Amino acid sequence: MSATSTVVMPGDRITAIEELAKSKRVILGPGLRRLDDTVVASKAGPLRHKEPGTFWVDNYQRRYIPARGDLVLGIVRSKAGDLYRVDIGAADTASISYLAFEAATKKNRPDLNPGDLIYARVLNASADIESELVCVNSVGKRGKLGVLAEGFFFKCSLNLGRMLLRENCPVLTALTRELPYEIAVGVNGRIWLNAHSLKETVALANAISALEQTGCAEIDKICGNLGDFLQT
Amino acid sequence: MPAKSKPRLSRGVLDMKFMQRTKVKVEKEADDEQSRALYSHEINQKMLNSTSNFVLESSYSICAGLIDGRLSFRGMNPELELLMEQELAEKQGNTRPEQPKEVSDQDMVKAFYANKAPTVTGSMSKKFNTKKDFKRKQVGEDSGNPHAKKRQHFKKPRSDDD
Repeated sequence: MSATSTVVMPGDRITAIEELAKSKRVILGPGLRRLDDTVVASKAGPLRHKEPGTFWVDNYQRRYIPARGDLVLGIVRSKAGDLYRVDIGAADTASISYLAFEAATKKNRPDLNPGDLIYARVLNASADIESELVCVNSVGKRGKLGVLAEGFFFKCSLNLGRMLLRENCPVLTALTRELPYEIAVGVNGRIWLNAHSLKETVALANAISALEQTGCAEIDKICGNLGDFLQT
Repeated sequence: MPAKSKPRLSRGVLDMKFMQRTKVKVEKEADDEQSRALYSHEINQKMLNSTSNFVLESSYSICAGLIDGRLSFRGMNPELELLMEQELAEKQGNTRPEQPKEVSDQDMVKAFYANKAPTVTGSMSKKFNTKKDFKRKQVGEDSGNPHAKKRQHFKKPRSDDD
């Protein structure tokens, strides 16, 4: 990911992508729209680019828009027949079938109660219908998905979640130097943390929340003194 | 009626039990044709033939190549760390070129058979032997030593033995 800092506004035509699309395939991510052969931004924020030919707008946002394949944190809201309603921070609740857990059968239901936290993958996402989650992979194994017990949960902006999930993000490595911990970051701007003691967990949450307003460029500088946030 | 109308199977034939699969196929074809006819005046040549270089992808995680967000560090959740390690190994296995071998496969085989294989290969090959092989082997052994194979008969004791 290159640190291009061109900020685009909704409605801006982006001619650079149009030029590129004449010669090769271009992937338009969230925040970009195509109208015939013109590319127009639909969100405000810095335009990001990844080789080869992937573009998206990294706008500041707190409302999650479900997209197929995303890994999200959700809170179980209620049980509705065969489905559980899960709040994933989107405009509508998502649903997860009781069969979408490892080793679940009609007789052997998963033990999920309202208020439980789950880490799940978005299976279906459409603007018009309720999005659907699963807690198993394609071969029916749990993998990293499932219910998150204990720990501490808090919300942040989608940008912070995405920043933590970049490959080689220095933040988590910097925190690892201080404490052993376990974390689940959803791209829907929700974070769950667990450390050996409650005090440590809350300190970690403070340290991560402190990064809320920082950009990708400044993050390296700040990671040096993340330890200070842990002390307070 | 157009000259080239396709011959169709009658309903009586399609209702027969062994024609059920064909029936489904025929129905689907008819359906497709109907929908094509319905929208044909709305689909223009540009829609049919245009090739676009744009691919739309609505997920940030795929666009930006984000990692899985479930992580554990320094032994907090050993089960999870094992998974992470496996994933990492898989990733590196895909990217790293194959390491050069210090001992070639052939040398390895030779050394293996010389050192400890005789017993292993013997007992294993026995498992895959057929009765025929077994007999042939016996015959082969016997042909080298013809006296061993003489069929045992009852020998009448000589009268002067006792």
